[in-house]
Amino acid sequence: MTDPMTGPVAGRAAQPVAEAGAWWAVPAAPALLLGLAVLTVAAGAVLDARDAGRAVTPRTALRPLLDVAHALVRQPRRLPASDRLLWRLGVVTVPVSAVLAVLVVPFGGHAVADPSVGLVWFNAMEVLTWAGLWLAGWGPNAALSLVGGYRFLAQGLAYELPLMFALISAATGAGSLRTGAIVAAQQDLWFAVWMPVAFAVHLLGVLAFSFTGPFAYPTGRDLAGGVLGEVGGADRLLLRAGRRLWLAAGAAMAVPLFLGGGAGPGLPAWAWSLVKTLLVLAVLVAAERRLPVLRADRWVEFAWVVLLPLSVVQALVPALVVL
Amino acid sequence: MDLTARLLRAAAARPRLLVLTTPGGTPVRLAVEREARLRDWPVAATPADAGLLVLAGPGHPGTAPAVERLWRDMPGPRARLHARHPDEVAAALDAARARLASPDLQRADAAARPAAPPPDELPMAEQGPDRDGLWLDRLHVPLGPFLPDWPAGLVLRLVLQGDVVQQAALAGPAPVPGPAAGAGGRFWAEPWLRAAAGEPVTIGEAARRRAAAQLDSLARLLALAGRPGQATRARRLRDALLAHAPEPAVRPAVAALHRAVCRWGTLRRLTRGLGVLSTAEAEAAGVSGPAARADGDVFDRCREWLECVARDVRRLDATGPLDPADPVGREGPRGRTTGPLPPSVALAGLLPRLLTGTELAGARLIVASLDPDPDELAAAGAELAHD
Repeated sequence: MTDPMTGPVAGRAAQPVAEAGAWWAVPAAPALLLGLAVLTVAAGAVLDARDAGRAVTPRTALRPLLDVAHALVRQPRRLPASDRLLWRLGVVTVPVSAVLAVLVVPFGGHAVADPSVGLVWFNAMEVLTWAGLWLAGWGPNAALSLVGGYRFLAQGLAYELPLMFALISAATGAGSLRTGAIVAAQQDLWFAVWMPVAFAVHLLGVLAFSFTGPFAYPTGRDLAGGVLGEVGGADRLLLRAGRRLWLAAGAAMAVPLFLGGGAGPGLPAWAWSLVKTLLVLAVLVAAERRLPVLRADRWVEFAWVVLLPLSVVQALVPALVVL
Repeated sequence: MDLTARLLRAAAARPRLLVLTTPGGTPVRLAVEREARLRDWPVAATPADAGLLVLAGPGHPGTAPAVERLWRDMPGPRARLHARHPDEVAAALDAARARLASPDLQRADAAARPAAPPPDELPMAEQGPDRDGLWLDRLHVPLGPFLPDWPAGLVLRLVLQGDVVQQAALAGPAPVPGPAAGAGGRFWAEPWLRAAAGEPVTIGEAARRRAAAQLDSLARLLALAGRPGQATRARRLRDALLAHAPEPAVRPAVAALHRAVCRWGTLRRLTRGLGVLSTAEAEAAGVSGPAARADGDVFDRCREWLECVARDVRRLDATGPLDPADPVGREGPRGRTTGPLPPSVALAGLLPRLLTGTELAGARLIVASLDPDPDELAAAGAELAHD
């Protein structure tokens, strides 16, 4: 067993391992993200078919993609007194912020950019979805949709602070906000091993900012779809895509933050990154199906009384070890 | 074939359904839900997401304006169908899908639509004191007659502040005219009504119907509680029971569902204290059956259903005649059927009091945990109208 002391100390000495700025990374990162998002949709379709007692064939996995055709032929929907500009802005913000967030996520040895505040950039993009989803709920001027938007805010108040402390734990461990430096700091020991609480909170946070699984409350069936209730056609496709893109982006970010990035024996760095990302995605897809929706009023209490103190204590551990 | 036609065909390969059930339409709804599950045609929550409006059940003037409003709200490409009998569902779905994929029909539909939707008369928000003494906006929001996982036809007029229910008033469903008001229009209570009319009904048949009815209620509650996988399992079991599956085929699945719903106590924790109804209060309000026996909150009623289903599944093969003295004969899925009014009337009557002060999410769970049967409510309306 490695001495936990060597992790952060080695990390501070190491140079960033991510190589940023290759031209092909700019189209590759969104394409890879989209691929991962489609994979989660296909996995969900197969599991749905099994639950519903349908035969599982290769076509089963791809059937949800027919919804793209549905979205494209759909006529626009006009609602009385809707706020079209803000509505559209909110809907577009969700997938766009997910794509922007992965620009700082190193994959193998590459990232589109490795700024000195990479972690803050990722967090800022995630917080943009707050505005996006709330506007998407506000826009149609419909009561259930608006309640859905507010539900996301209530949920956000509960998950955001623990998530920030989880991200800070990783940054403190590496002594840097640069994602490349955080990967380098884990050459000896993954942060997931000695910051398990931060890792778990990050995974919960991913489900929360993807408003899926236990955090699907803003789109609840009891609200007839909530934020998703009044959107149709391309707008609906964008919001649903945003949901899957964020799930994939969160999984991709968990790898450099907590699982040592592309480090591993035998395989090239990109392959390790891919394998680890797929494993995290599998865990997230399983969790989103197994965990029941948490009602925000009950979840806020748990988040503030249990999760927040735990993640503060977790953030203290690397702070004491490093400083 | 041009691009639009190709896209239309691709979209129609997996149409999204908006299922609207009229009072007396339960068997048709069950057939539609079963077909949708087996064909992988998703059931949409709102017209914004749906392409196929499915009207399930006999014609019903009371809900017709709401159906037309939803149809008007549905963007094209779209198609609608009206299935009055379970046997015609599969063919009607196929025919409607063909209409959905036809570029000519869809162009004609788009051209025939009014240019702009007529503006609805939306009441402005007024203000009033809330439960914390703050002066807040009040919103008038009706729930029903059509919502996903809602007793179709039931209308609750809510006054909301934020998402807290300040007042709730019950309205509808409108009575059903004609033969639908008879035993045939009350699918879930049918074996008890037939036995009361002197027809031979076996205990096994009634136990099967009651277990299926309670699984149907359970599926709605689980879907609203955000457990779609378990809701699907409950619906599959319901369909298996109605398709005369033998006892050994369903018993392990019922036990597994029971374990899954109660696992880790999460549902218990997430619904604790919602819609508390003691046995004494229930009986005073004229409620019998599982809701009265549960003597507690939403989760207690959910567990009572699971236990009732587990007991009934053991009696599927009982061939004795249904007798008011035995435990199956005494009560239908929602309670005793021998009173002057169907048991769902008392259940619905409890809603305004139980809903006041809850949040919208809690209100939906409370309604689902009592689950008044719209067929019974409509039949009662018809009986009352006759008197």
